[in-house]
Amino acid sequence: MSWKEAAEPVLTRMPVVTRPTGHIPFKRKLAWTAGVLFVYFFLTNITLFGLESTGSDIFGQFRSILAGEQGSILQVGIGPIVTASIVLQLLGGANLLGLDTSDPRDQVLYQGLQKLLVIVVTAMTAAPMVFAGGFLPANPAIGNALGIGLFGIQMVIFAQVFIGGVLILFMDEIVSKWGVGSGVGLFIIAAVSQQLVGGFFSWSGLGTPGFFASWFGIITGSVELGPTFTSEWFQSLLFSPGELLALVTTALIFAVVVYAESVRVEIPLSHARVKGARGRFPVKLIYASVLPMILVRALQANIQFFGQIINSQTTMPTWLGVYADGQPVSGFFYYFAPIQSRQDWMWFLGFTNAEPWMIFTRVAIDLTFMVVGGAIFAIFWVETTGMGPEATARQIQNSGMQIPGFRRNPQVVEKVMERYIPQVTVIGGALVGLLAVLANMLGTIGNVTGEGLLLTVSITYKLYEEIAEEQLMEMHPMMRQMFGRE
Amino acid sequence: MSSGQNSGGLMSSAGLVRYFDAEDRNAIAINPKTVMAFCVLFGVFIQLLSLTIA
Repeated sequence: MSWKEAAEPVLTRMPVVTRPTGHIPFKRKLAWTAGVLFVYFFLTNITLFGLESTGSDIFGQFRSILAGEQGSILQVGIGPIVTASIVLQLLGGANLLGLDTSDPRDQVLYQGLQKLLVIVVTAMTAAPMVFAGGFLPANPAIGNALGIGLFGIQMVIFAQVFIGGVLILFMDEIVSKWGVGSGVGLFIIAAVSQQLVGGFFSWSGLGTPGFFASWFGIITGSVELGPTFTSEWFQSLLFSPGELLALVTTALIFAVVVYAESVRVEIPLSHARVKGARGRFPVKLIYASVLPMILVRALQANIQFFGQIINSQTTMPTWLGVYADGQPVSGFFYYFAPIQSRQDWMWFLGFTNAEPWMIFTRVAIDLTFMVVGGAIFAIFWVETTGMGPEATARQIQNSGMQIPGFRRNPQVVEKVMERYIPQVTVIGGALVGLLAVLANMLGTIGNVTGEGLLLTVSITYKLYEEIAEEQLMEMHPMMRQMFGRE
Repeated sequence: MSSGQNSGGLMSSAGLVRYFDAEDRNAIAINPKTVMAFCVLFGVFIQLLSLTIA
């Protein structure tokens, strides 16, 4: 008996959000999306019951791409979804699952497995957060007042975090089925945009002054830059408080992603029956989109997560990691921590006390991780989401199109696709990895991190395309058939 | 093309979680409004707990 039969009774019974029965008007879709976004922001503002203090964020700098909010009900953010996705990608990409996603039976199993994995990972993420270290410190006074003790109140916090994680999963499902785009994408955009807006418009009354507040201060003279045209003056302009470098990097990433979205290899298509009906199949440079990048980052985040847990429990050997103020300063966990900001590497300006060779090693490891990891996950992503040569060849064949000058045969089309898709995928994945590391090293406005920015821009672009497509279908109902929707 | 909602056009792009058309009749179906209502009520409940007890 294969695992499928054994797991079937459980996987097929996983709760699902009902699917709309008919066509949903675009406005209703927008309303659902906005509703979920509203609820998301609402829940990030609800502090967990029973906490002594907000504690230190175990996700650290990864928070911007994992969404959620430290100390709130949405503590875990999309972390479990991403981690579960990594597991599924690796299993599916290596074809260990034996699930054929074009078979309805296997589709149900895949969906069930996916949901079960997310729920298990949510529990596994929430448990160390609550029970280990000072990430979510419980308030023993409340426990005693309720007569359940410290462990009891920890269980209550765990339950809240766990429920929050499951709610994120269901909110994602609502957006995917009833709204526009995907919930995960929406939450990433929400988290990053919030930081970005804060980085621009915040003022000292709210904490650190943002870009505009700093410049207002510089122009009116209340913020000192140092003597004009000295190296100190230039440094103040480029870094803090001028942040010109961050502004340029942020704008550059925006421009590069929007440009790269339009870079593509177009494979000409013609209709087999209707003469003159032509089309093009675009193989985009960022073909596999930027999403695989989040998987690489999440892998790094999970490594750091382990480091944080071990550090909070025992003292580890120095080769494994030495921590100061909750941050690794040497050892394995230091070298495997990605470069998140200028403070991590600009030793020549006195931002860090680390030796230059240590910094170079760390940058090299980060770069290798991102470029190679980005390429590998992009390949898996393409395979598992049905964007690979074989799947696209089948789609083209089914739509009645063919590549002019080639026999109308899926195998032939697949051969042609194999000339482009794998290469473009690898180049795109590696390029995105490189961009993310570069943006992190130079710094971004609001410290949104390179991949946060990359993800936000490309998800927003996708969303824009999807909205345009929706509106087209709304205006011309006939188009719905062309896009293959009922 | 039965790959569910990801079959929009020739290009397909999926979120991190994939949903297909196929659904099992045994599955527990939840109305999206129920989920939203639960989210809001849960948030309000936790907030009230914090305000009254802590």
